[in-house]
Amino acid sequence: MSRTIDVRQERIKRHGFSGRFVHWTVALSTVVLVISGLGQLPLFKRYFVDTLPGLGWTSDFGVTLQLHYFAAAALTLAVVYHVIFHSLRREFDIVPRRGDLKESYQIIKAMFGRGEEPDSDKYLAEQRVAYAFIGGAILLVIATGYLKAVKNLPGVELSYWLLWTTTTLHNLAMFLIIMGIGGHLAAFLIKENRALLPGMFTGRVSLAYARERHCLWCEGLGLSGRSGSASDPDAGGREGAAAGGAAMASPGQTGDSRAA
Amino acid sequence: MKREEDPTMGSISRRDFLKRSMGAGLAGGVILTGMDKVALASTGEPVGTFIDLTKCDGCPGKDTPACVAGCRTANQHKFPEPAVENIADYWPQKKHEDWTDKKGLTTRLTPYNWTFVQKVKVEHEGAVHEVSLPRRCMHCDNPPCVKVCPFSAQEKKPEGPVVIDDELCFGGAKCRDVCPWGIPARQAGVGLYLKLAPQLAGGGAMYKCDLCYDRLEQGKLPACIEACPNEAMQIGEQSEMLEAAKARATETDGYVYGEKENGGTSTFYVSPVPFEKVHKALMEQKQQQENPQAPGFPGMPVNAENFLESTNGLAISLLVAPLAGMVGAGAAAYRTMKGQGQEEPPPISSGDTEHEQEVEAGDE
Repeated sequence: MSRTIDVRQERIKRHGFSGRFVHWTVALSTVVLVISGLGQLPLFKRYFVDTLPGLGWTSDFGVTLQLHYFAAAALTLAVVYHVIFHSLRREFDIVPRRGDLKESYQIIKAMFGRGEEPDSDKYLAEQRVAYAFIGGAILLVIATGYLKAVKNLPGVELSYWLLWTTTTLHNLAMFLIIMGIGGHLAAFLIKENRALLPGMFTGRVSLAYARERHCLWCEGLGLSGRSGSASDPDAGGREGAAAGGAAMASPGQTGDSRAA
Repeated sequence: MKREEDPTMGSISRRDFLKRSMGAGLAGGVILTGMDKVALASTGEPVGTFIDLTKCDGCPGKDTPACVAGCRTANQHKFPEPAVENIADYWPQKKHEDWTDKKGLTTRLTPYNWTFVQKVKVEHEGAVHEVSLPRRCMHCDNPPCVKVCPFSAQEKKPEGPVVIDDELCFGGAKCRDVCPWGIPARQAGVGLYLKLAPQLAGGGAMYKCDLCYDRLEQGKLPACIEACPNEAMQIGEQSEMLEAAKARATETDGYVYGEKENGGTSTFYVSPVPFEKVHKALMEQKQQQENPQAPGFPGMPVNAENFLESTNGLAISLLVAPLAGMVGAGAAAYRTMKGQGQEEPPPISSGDTEHEQEVEAGDE
């Protein structure tokens, strides 16, 4: 096997089980929540969706509300797991940083051939911004959703102002989440981003891609970054290890690249 | 008119009610603020009503029962006024709910008729009873119509009445679907949806009895109660009304409706016949109507379940979920961190699966 092919086939671990568990639990529960939530509006009977084979349940408010509760529990579990797990491990790679909006603009410009894309850490600046947007909307939907669930209990009467505010913010959060999901999926229309897709399935992405686009991350792991991979992957790895890097890699993540 | 007494408080006439309210002072749920004036106290107990079916005779000889006529007169300023001449269908459906050409209808609930009187003949213990039933919103304790409204266009007032804000209502009619009695009535061509995408979404606005909340605020009785010539309807503190209903049921060997239905309501009926038989008779009557599916002709299902009961049973899952997430995250973090400090292979693997090296690294 030639060295070039070898390098291209090498993959770097980007997401562990916890990351993928959280991502897919959030994704699946959110889809169920959006569908069952829209069913509360109510839409499915009016637009004949419930006449489609197997979708008769969509116009049953009892069924869709119970589904909403189950999915809400799954979403909450995943979000709490995510926050606690990464806080304990002190992994904050995806938390937005100062200058991320400006850097996101540069990245988007570079995608259209204008200017050079800045070096990125484990996550692109635009990914950190997107995380904050979707994460904020999810926290809002959970907080207002819990209040709505409490309100449904017998004997609980919220003041009308609080009831209306909660309902309106919940609806707004749903709208923001749908927009966020749309933006998240639309990102994969751009070819450069597609190399990240395997990461959420297998946990791994191409090492060559990571070195090219997430060179600060690679350097933080002690692997070669963009400049190193251009000539000798090994050389970059040693330099990167010395340089440190911004990624908050846990101990044990550093080491020599098998690309050597 | 001869007034029947009950063992606990006697029958409460309008005059008695006002006197008693005065005696209760500011602490009461309903207070007297002046001669012939009743006002709601925000800190008091919610109001309830007691409808004595042993007294209601449906106003024989009148075109319209007095309570219905009184309600229509008092509330006509709240009735919908569609601004558009040709009300569009609920696309893609080929229909819409328009009651404007039936404004005079008084034999069912419509956006223009918030109470009506049903009449059934029921055989009970060898005798046939003709029962007249004034029907309107029950003003439930845990009203699913209020709680599941997607836009919070309904409110359970602290004083008890359930009120719809027709300027905020989108007319999806979900409130009618989750109401055991299907009380709210829809009128197309009015409401917020006209300002957004009337061809695509929204159905109008919902209308129903609000227990004459505006009149209560002004210190007046609900119009139906004020109009009843038989004093068959009373209003007072909810618990007091329930006591009155139970006492009347004991006195007449009758039956109470509204205490347990839908998780509890603030409207208590007392009937000389079991409500199971009343409900059966009403459903038979409904089936004989030209369009049995048409809304606005409620039954009296005994022990009707609250729509939220089954869902509230799942609320525990919302308590368990964050705890499970915390425990799971703690365990996972501990498992992945306990080996830290030891030398580990790099987070790199070959594309050759036979020789792939699985390494716990990255974000775990």
